[in-house]
Amino acid sequence: MLIELSRGVTIHPGSFTAVIAPERRILLALNGNKDLQRFLFLYVSGNYSRLLTGISRTSGNFEVRRPFTADQLLSVINESGHTILFVEHDPTLFDGAERLYEPVASALKQAGREALVLLWAPANDRSFAALARRADRIIEIIAEDTGPKGYGLPGRRPGRAGSGAPGAQRTLEVS
Amino acid sequence: MWVLDSAYRSGGVDLWGKEGSGRVQRVHHEYNPPFFFCLPDPDAYHEMTEALEEAYRAEPCTFATIFGECEGFRVFAGRPVAEAIEQQTGFAAQLFNVDVRRDQRFMAEEGIIPCSTEMRTRFSPEIPHNLEIMEIRIAGDPSLSRTCTEISVVHGRTERLFGDEREVLSDLFSLVSAYDPDVVLMAHADRWMTILQEKGRRAGFTLPFSRNGKYRTMGSRSYWSYGRVEHKNAALIPDGRILIDTEESFVYNEGGLGGVLMAARLSGLSPSLASRLTPGTLISSYETYEAVRRGIAVPFRKSDAEALRKLASLRTGDRGGMMFQPEPGIFEDVDEIDFTSMYPSIIVRANLSPETIADPETAERGFLPIALEPLLNMRIAIKQQKKTDPSVAGIDAILKWMLVTCFGYTGYKNAKFGRIEVHEAITARSREILLQAKAAADEMGFTVLHGNVDCLWVQGPRAPALQERITRQSGLLTEVEHLDWIVFLPQNDGSGAYTRYYGRHPDGSVKVRGIAARRHDTPEYIRKMQAEMFAVMGRAGSIAELEGVWDDVHRIYRDAAARLPSAPVQEMVISRRISRLKYAHRCIEGAAVVAYRQRGTDIAPGMKIRYVVRDARTYQVDPAGDAENFDIPYYRQLLEKAWKEVAYAFTAGREPGNRPFICPDYGQVATGP
Repeated sequence: MLIELSRGVTIHPGSFTAVIAPERRILLALNGNKDLQRFLFLYVSGNYSRLLTGISRTSGNFEVRRPFTADQLLSVINESGHTILFVEHDPTLFDGAERLYEPVASALKQAGREALVLLWAPANDRSFAALARRADRIIEIIAEDTGPKGYGLPGRRPGRAGSGAPGAQRTLEVS
Repeated sequence: MWVLDSAYRSGGVDLWGKEGSGRVQRVHHEYNPPFFFCLPDPDAYHEMTEALEEAYRAEPCTFATIFGECEGFRVFAGRPVAEAIEQQTGFAAQLFNVDVRRDQRFMAEEGIIPCSTEMRTRFSPEIPHNLEIMEIRIAGDPSLSRTCTEISVVHGRTERLFGDEREVLSDLFSLVSAYDPDVVLMAHADRWMTILQEKGRRAGFTLPFSRNGKYRTMGSRSYWSYGRVEHKNAALIPDGRILIDTEESFVYNEGGLGGVLMAARLSGLSPSLASRLTPGTLISSYETYEAVRRGIAVPFRKSDAEALRKLASLRTGDRGGMMFQPEPGIFEDVDEIDFTSMYPSIIVRANLSPETIADPETAERGFLPIALEPLLNMRIAIKQQKKTDPSVAGIDAILKWMLVTCFGYTGYKNAKFGRIEVHEAITARSREILLQAKAAADEMGFTVLHGNVDCLWVQGPRAPALQERITRQSGLLTEVEHLDWIVFLPQNDGSGAYTRYYGRHPDGSVKVRGIAARRHDTPEYIRKMQAEMFAVMGRAGSIAELEGVWDDVHRIYRDAAARLPSAPVQEMVISRRISRLKYAHRCIEGAAVVAYRQRGTDIAPGMKIRYVVRDARTYQVDPAGDAENFDIPYYRQLLEKAWKEVAYAFTAGREPGNRPFICPDYGQVATGP
């Protein structure tokens, strides 16, 4: 069982991989791999999911949990017993909760000893970089139409897409 | 003791009470409450707990949470120790009562409520008091000018202070000290207080607003609320006195002084603090007070995440309220059937709470239904009372906001007693109820024109019979409002807009939603034009009679358009809450931000700014106080847009008998279908 992000770029069980890639690329990887339907899959998204509406998984093995705080994210990772743990990064979870960078990163690393753990974001940001520090591998796939291809973690990208900010609010935020 | 202020001071709680004699007294209560924590495997942390026992009098104990009893420890220490426990246990420890305000906690434990002498009056709309009230009006906008050379002090009579700033401040401070008011009402108080403090210090005066010379501080911040950025100014809150920022306080603007006192009574917080809270924080504080009062520990962190779900269940569950899109047009004899406090009623009736959500029908009554029921009953009673006693309107408004927010709060990420599944269950039931109501209306021969979450607009002969049936089958209270005619406006694509409509009540008043007259950013000149038009249209009791007022309404528009070039510039002020400080493209709002900055004003996302557009083409904008002229074509466009909203009732929305109307100033002719 593996997830192929693009030709030659595969993710295997027993590892924690941080991935920066366009949404379309991730959706192709998840929707196009029928083999994944056979395994217990936990999809973790925060307040705002960019991918969930595009995922065409119908298998009963595909489950979702949505933590709305970094504390909840930590609980979700610790409680997960799935073969595949896919975390869609939501930087807003870490607003005012920077104290949890290290515990969450460690929990991902720990979960990655037995499962396939993938932390995904469409672009790098401060909290993603902090979590990715404990990853076994960091992969960046540049969108085909945004210039020369390259790997590794570049600096912050300009523009709204790079901020990781949500396009629309899904749950209420008051103060 | 009638508590008018509370503060945590010197290891205890200061309660400031007003006695029947009028004397204000401070009573200090020693108070050092513990926080609680529990661990999944206490033996694994025995060294830590032993150290806590030694250093902070930690004791094993059992405490209650909404999910049941917990075996854990109580620790007589503050937040830093709690955070150290979190760190040391790798965030495995669950902590409770760490961030509950100590004055609020003390009152909840002791059965004390602010703004009352007895707990049993907590849910009563009566708030008898003998508070001395002073209003201070400082001329000018503190975001643009920091000079205090003209001040009015209203305390029974009005005293005007003007002239040299030092003299004016000296007189103001003397008046406050001499009159010794219990309540100070001041527009932009949170901005002015720091200015007054600074100027007073330089002049050698002591700020006189605190009764013991002490002030609490609140930091400024920007935050998201209902999808938009809001800003809260830093505040300096005096001890022993109620200070309300009449311009910035949402609670005061909605509910007046009565609303502030009621908010304090319900939330268990001092009126000064309650006046600075949003409805969301108010309901959160109310729930916290209720929990502590009932001996339930309040969680520190929100770590209980949504349960595992299948994708399909998420897709069907994660939806909002039900809407039926209206056909745009004008309709006669329409009844609006409105569910009273629909969402909170669903929480209470369906027993929806984080601890009951798995099986609400068979579970014992949950915390949220128990806590919200008295608030809901009070709102229902006061809403009735308001019909004959308008003096309770302010309190009704506060209750309404708290109950509106209590639903959203169940889905809020930091809600102490929230859970997304509860949020979804509420909307799921509301959709069911609205669909059942629509089915009943269809069955009884009504035409359903529009539906919006908790409201249906129907045309038919026997609205009371339909209302009775809907109330019976849903178990929720409803109200019916008759409208002689109603206009549903179109969206840009020609389909009906969900929230833009206006209609006439039988008493001649016109209910308006979502159009220029209701929008906060509409210039006063344009708002007045629409209000004048609706006053005239209120004379028409039917669609046919509207024809008779066409000329008058059209004349109002023509006059407004003709007078526009000579209109006062201050009536062109646009008031808007800014969402950001940097704009990718040139726009009027961005130009206003630049204008404020050039003026030397500190601004932050969420702040409200007031400006006049001098030249829209070149993005020239002036802060309201500096504006001397305005861009006539720009404002004419706004005027025309507002006019078209009203004119729609006479043209495209009209059937039969559509007639063309003419906008003579431009020679433009618009015709009905």
